[in-house]
Amino acid sequence: MTVDTTGSPTDLLEVDDDADLIEVLASHGWGDGLPVVAPTSERVGAMLAGCNGHDPEEVVASLPPRFGQATRLAIAVNAVMAGCLPDHLPVLVSAVRALAHPDLNLRGVNATTHCVAPLLVVHGDVARTAGYHGGLGAFGPGSRANAATGRALRLILLHVAGATPGDGDASTQGGPAKFGFCVAENLEASPWTGYAASVGVEAPSAVTIHCGEAPHNVHDMESSSPTGILDKVASAMATTAQNNACISQGEYLVALCPEHAATCADAGWSRGDVASYLFQRARLPVGELKRAFAHRAWTPWMQSLQDGEAAPMTGHPDNIRIMVVGGAGRHSSVIPSWGMTRSVTVPVEP
Amino acid sequence: MQIHPPTGAASTPPITLAPTPAVLAGRRIGILDNRKPNAGILLTRLAERLAARTGAEVALVETKNAAIPCEDQVLGRLVEEVELVLTGTAD
Repeated sequence: MTVDTTGSPTDLLEVDDDADLIEVLASHGWGDGLPVVAPTSERVGAMLAGCNGHDPEEVVASLPPRFGQATRLAIAVNAVMAGCLPDHLPVLVSAVRALAHPDLNLRGVNATTHCVAPLLVVHGDVARTAGYHGGLGAFGPGSRANAATGRALRLILLHVAGATPGDGDASTQGGPAKFGFCVAENLEASPWTGYAASVGVEAPSAVTIHCGEAPHNVHDMESSSPTGILDKVASAMATTAQNNACISQGEYLVALCPEHAATCADAGWSRGDVASYLFQRARLPVGELKRAFAHRAWTPWMQSLQDGEAAPMTGHPDNIRIMVVGGAGRHSSVIPSWGMTRSVTVPVEP
Repeated sequence: MQIHPPTGAASTPPITLAPTPAVLAGRRIGILDNRKPNAGILLTRLAERLAARTGAEVALVETKNAAIPCEDQVLGRLVEEVELVLTGTAD
């Protein structure tokens, strides 16, 4: 498919009123295969009201591999198409800023054959005021804010960044998280301080982008102590099947359900204690890792480990990121990063 | 009905490719092995054959991680020491 990348968001495209909009978009190489809301001037203008008068033409970020200019206008067009509301636009604009942070390595994220997708996590006041969901079934389906904002971010990657499968996105199998991957942190049910503050972002509202795989479930109905739960989390982390396994800067986002988090906190464990324990327990024999990977992007101290020793799945406990997501029940999840990427948290600003 | 295109304008990419030399005789070839499986074997064999056919020489072999941009020091050495670089194999 040849992708039409010539159109500026200000150059309107004429479409028959009774045309199949999915097919019209597909003829330009646009869209994600699902029905979209037509981005008419009226709708885009209403969407831009969500940015409280900030310049629609200002370039928020330039996104590789196409180096498309993500102006507020271009972001708003994709937000309309995905079904967002104006209250969602500041979250989306902030998410685009995070995507463009050099630590995130968006060019690599888009170019890899891995199935990585940017997970957008919404923190703080805006999660409540704009309807983002962090409770029961948080990863979906069901929440318009989560679904539409996650989808809009993917549409921005497709259209503005040029992450078109086959051209700008080399993912071997793709993945369901590439349609949309957005959730809220369940701060009300968390025994710890908010995640954003824990990584140094003190703001009423914030977003995190973590480029990772779809969630890997961790099921534990039995344990009444942190170790029982976290040993199972560690087992989900410790596998040679993940991109992370041979990359010591790789991150693991551990989304603990409220009940698992409460079991840990009630025993006096802080978020840091959970990460430290997982760093200690999520390990594989060095010899097994060496057999699995001819090249290992390990820090020098990990390279010095001997075959009989156990290597951690990441080079530092800080690479294990803990937050609370979900509702009643005892299922948590591990979201391994792609590896050569760092999660980025920024304040929500329009 | 009129709709806004969703793409946004494109910026100028921050890098451009250098022109390829028209004649390779006497030129120095570098290899930038991105450490993808067999990249080193493939690129080295290709460079050796190219050198043998054209009268060039294989002068430098560097490595990088395929997932991240090449370090400035590595690029600097390539710029200093060779006129043609072979790189870029995939999985």
